[in-house]
Amino acid sequence: MSNVSVYIKSRQILSRVTLKIPYNTVFVIMGPSGSGKTTLLRVINRLIDLVEGARIEGSVKVLGFDALNSDPYELRKHIGTVFQVPNPFPHLTIYENVAIAAKINGVAKSRKELNDVVKWALEKAMLWDEVRNRLHDHPHQLSGGQRQRLCLARALAMKPRLLLLDEPTANIDPVNARKLEEAIVSLKDEITVVMVTHSPHQAARVADYVAVLYDGSVVEHGPAQQLFLRPSTEVAQKLLRGEM
Amino acid sequence: MYSWRKLREKLFTGLVIALSLLAIAPVLHLIATVFVNGLTVIAEAGLGFFTGLPPTPLSRELGGIAPSIAGTLIMTALSLPSTVLLGLFAAILTTEFPKNPLSVAIDAVAKSLASIPTIAVSMIVYTLVVIPMRGFSALAGAIALTIIALPYAYTYFSTALRSVPSIYREAAFAVAMSRWSTVTRVFIPIARRSAVVGVLMTMARVMGETAALLFTAGRFRASVALSPTAPADSIPLLIFDYILSPYTIWHRVAWGATALLLIAYMAVFIATKLVVKEVKL
Repeated sequence: MSNVSVYIKSRQILSRVTLKIPYNTVFVIMGPSGSGKTTLLRVINRLIDLVEGARIEGSVKVLGFDALNSDPYELRKHIGTVFQVPNPFPHLTIYENVAIAAKINGVAKSRKELNDVVKWALEKAMLWDEVRNRLHDHPHQLSGGQRQRLCLARALAMKPRLLLLDEPTANIDPVNARKLEEAIVSLKDEITVVMVTHSPHQAARVADYVAVLYDGSVVEHGPAQQLFLRPSTEVAQKLLRGEM
Repeated sequence: MYSWRKLREKLFTGLVIALSLLAIAPVLHLIATVFVNGLTVIAEAGLGFFTGLPPTPLSRELGGIAPSIAGTLIMTALSLPSTVLLGLFAAILTTEFPKNPLSVAIDAVAKSLASIPTIAVSMIVYTLVVIPMRGFSALAGAIALTIIALPYAYTYFSTALRSVPSIYREAAFAVAMSRWSTVTRVFIPIARRSAVVGVLMTMARVMGETAALLFTAGRFRASVALSPTAPADSIPLLIFDYILSPYTIWHRVAWGATALLLIAYMAVFIATKLVVKEVKL
């Protein structure tokens, strides 16, 4: 993305953000609350369109799409998203929650293909072993962490080329968070992952690249190892020390 | 100290239960009165109550209310589908595109329609439908019922759709669902209990309306008319006419008809409660 600014009504949320996200990496966006991390993800998948009064300037290229001028539904077929609060569809079973994403995006043509995709996605999300005998249960029968991994499986069932994760472990216990992190790292061979997190420890565990966002601007970005060892800005230093 | 706290809690609980019973006592009394008076009549008349014609004022036989039952069913069948569909589409439009000028207009019209006296709707339909058709009809009655029930259906459906948390809209959009799919595959199924209650409340409004039919349906009780273009009767109209009459036998028939209407409502509500499960979020 190049020179991206976002305004919601008259308030500026992002200011001239320029970022390049390499393919097949885990790219982590860090920053304090209100720095514009979630908005940045919403620009990529065009969910910003749902925000009343939102206006975007600049250009965003996503997987070859001119994201700001493309059909958002077509764009989203290639982008999986997992939100901060687990939001599996409550009226569908575990199986249906994963299958619906595959069906809508034409990933599976037959019943057998659909079953295979559901199994594959649940395995990738490290949930298969826990739900294989209860695929027809509803999400409210799962724990919070399992629900979040179900959301990851739903996103993966679309067979996306890009996966956006908005603080996916913020509302779940450490054991489930660990499983989710393992799943994320294992995915990067096939998918580019962009993850927003508050936690520098989590970023250190999963990130290949890191960008630090502060007050709507990217203050620092680069390979994770370099940024963690030698942060060049005060904001990044404070963030890594957990003082922000 | 501890026992005083427990005692206060028990006193308060007792007070709440007593006040609740006091609040529902009139309703229970009303239902009991209708059942006692109405079921006696239905039991005495037997099957003939559902299949026979109403008695003459000086008759000794109770007769039945078949023309009213048929008329109510025909007018409900004509009115309910269009009311539900129009109400649902209007609710979808106004919840999905609240700033659209058409949505704003629909919302304003729905609110205005709800405040028009039903008797006025009856007169409007009389002028626009009954006079051109040169006669009362079930169709004219159904049109009046649709106009009256539409704002209620719209309000129930839009409330149901708005009650779905926005996180599910984001989830649906994130899996590349279109706006239409989001409504039909996510919003309506999640809000299905409220939506079905909306249908039932609309049905109750349609089946229970009296004034809208005064100048439209025709109060035809001489035989069972099944054609939508023929004059018809309805159960509430029969109750209204008979209870105001000076004849004891018609009062008794009105009690029976009231009990029948109440039983029909309760049966539908209970069946729906059992069949349509709430979605646990």
